[in-house]
Amino acid sequence: MARVRLENVTKRFGDVVAVNNLSYEVGDGEFLCMLGPSGAGKTTTMRMIAGVERPDEGNIYIGDVPVNDVPPKERDVAMMFQSYALYSHKTVYKNLAFPLEKHKVSKDEVDRRVKEVAEILGISHLLDRLPKQLSGGEKQRVALGRTMVRKPEAYLLDEPLTNLDAKLRAHMRAELKKLREELKTTIIYATPDQLEAMSMADRIAVMNFGKLLQCDTSGAIYNHPKNLFVAGFIGSPAMNFIDCTFVEKEDKAFLDAGEFLYDITELKNLIKDRYTSPELILGIRPEHISISKKPLTEDSIEAEIYVIEPSRPDVIVSISVGTKALEALAPETFRGDIGEKVWITFDRSRVYVFDKKTENAII
Amino acid sequence: MVMVGKTTERIVATVLMYLAVVVVMAATLFPLVWMFITSFKKETDVLTFPPTFVFEPTFDNFIYAFTKSKPPLSLALTNSLIIGACTVALVVPISALAAYSFARFNVGGGHLQFYILTVKMFPAIAAIIPYFIIFRELGLLDHVLSLIILNTLFNLPFAIWLLFGFFREIPQDLEESAMIEGCSKFGAFRDIVLPLIAPGLAVTAIFSTIFTWNEFLFAFILSRARAVTAPVAVAGFWTQRGILWGPLSAAATICIVPMFIFALLIQRYIVRGLTFGAVK
Repeated sequence: MARVRLENVTKRFGDVVAVNNLSYEVGDGEFLCMLGPSGAGKTTTMRMIAGVERPDEGNIYIGDVPVNDVPPKERDVAMMFQSYALYSHKTVYKNLAFPLEKHKVSKDEVDRRVKEVAEILGISHLLDRLPKQLSGGEKQRVALGRTMVRKPEAYLLDEPLTNLDAKLRAHMRAELKKLREELKTTIIYATPDQLEAMSMADRIAVMNFGKLLQCDTSGAIYNHPKNLFVAGFIGSPAMNFIDCTFVEKEDKAFLDAGEFLYDITELKNLIKDRYTSPELILGIRPEHISISKKPLTEDSIEAEIYVIEPSRPDVIVSISVGTKALEALAPETFRGDIGEKVWITFDRSRVYVFDKKTENAII
Repeated sequence: MVMVGKTTERIVATVLMYLAVVVVMAATLFPLVWMFITSFKKETDVLTFPPTFVFEPTFDNFIYAFTKSKPPLSLALTNSLIIGACTVALVVPISALAAYSFARFNVGGGHLQFYILTVKMFPAIAAIIPYFIIFRELGLLDHVLSLIILNTLFNLPFAIWLLFGFFREIPQDLEESAMIEGCSKFGAFRDIVLPLIAPGLAVTAIFSTIFTWNEFLFAFILSRARAVTAPVAVAGFWTQRGILWGPLSAAATICIVPMFIFALLIQRYIVRGLTFGAVK
């Protein structure tokens, strides 16, 4: 298995910069997930690694070999397209056999490998069918199978689960994870779904507008997001962001959010060193806000219940503090009425501060 | 069947619909039927008025058509077959590659495509004199090759336009996937794309065959004795002595038969090709 390395890769389509100075590295046997919304540049990057698209700038290495000028069929990667790209005039068997036939593998070997892969994916009974006779989940497994028959150096999976319904998606997520344990190959995976990325990947490369924002393990990305976008994209329900201003009064320092003041005296110097202006954003995840009927600490802020969504096992409570709206996660036992006055408390150790102008994390 | 409305309205609507179908069919088929019948009539029966449908059939016209025609009808039929086959053999590969280039590489940025399409809009008769002169200089007058060239040229615009539509329907994912899995770009075209547009290729071949077989103007002007085609031979019965209706009808019937059988055999491919769209 090989490493895949991207160095300063840029790709433009006319005026649009689809991929902007992207650099990352995928180690042997590592599962790296490119995570980002539509248009982030994930598919374009994947196509450049596969060789179907050429970078305008930068270099791509597969197994330490520069492959910018190498045609796709000689790169020894396998790609699964979001649309599955099944050959509709060939049976499932012939679809799976195609890559092997193109590499001049003997008929017996082709037969053996096709049957082996079909067995692993549970599609042995479908070998004589045509793609149009398959369900969505079956098509997806055939497409996946086609990448597996060749045992390539790296797998490129482009949003493989996006077109499946929720239940099947959850099932396939588990299957993919198990498969990955067995195959131990280098996998580059693209998805807009942060749940998929968090549950399956060794490392996640968060992208937006063609730029790499952070490349780290899922834990690091969740706990130490480097900027606003990453913080807001990971975690569901999403992190709350509150505009505020850094103010100093006597020896203390506060984040002035208009409706309330939050004491951050102990972080005063750290913030002052790093910020570009006093315009800041306070970030706090819903799961780190406690709701209570009475104030818990002197930091507790008075708020009003706006809406309660009992999405079990937790309860999402939308609360309003003056004109600001926040979401907090409460345990299932929480009871409250709309309009009721409650107190919210932030977990001090999980408060994030972002610079409003640069959108980078300060704390 | 009409499905909505009150029962009496529905019956009236359905009857009218069938009536319209019958009228159109009658108008279309009548000349053919008349021609077919005439070919079996004796000379005296041909022009009687009122026209008779009951008569004693004869094969004289057919014998005359084959034996007494100059140039011989058998030559004309052979030429039509050769020209048709060669034209299709040229049109299908050229138009397939051209249409693919337009669809995938946007050669000429749309302008070249438009230019080719305008060839079809050009009134053929305006080009007849230049072509006559060109082929005379080349020494190709009354030669089958000149008709092959011309028919290929005239069928290409339609063929390219038709196949372009088909190629555009094929998602590029399929070719890219094939290339990643080991095909060259041409290999992907050959192994993946071509089989998928096979109905389009069939329709192109069929229409080219029919248009070429029926082509009259250029065949008439550019042939004399050696390169006559079937339509020209049929027109040959319009002599200075008068129109030999019997043999003419017989010849026309003979010339229609191959296309008729051809159409019957491949009609389901035409329908499939024209209602194409089930790639996914």
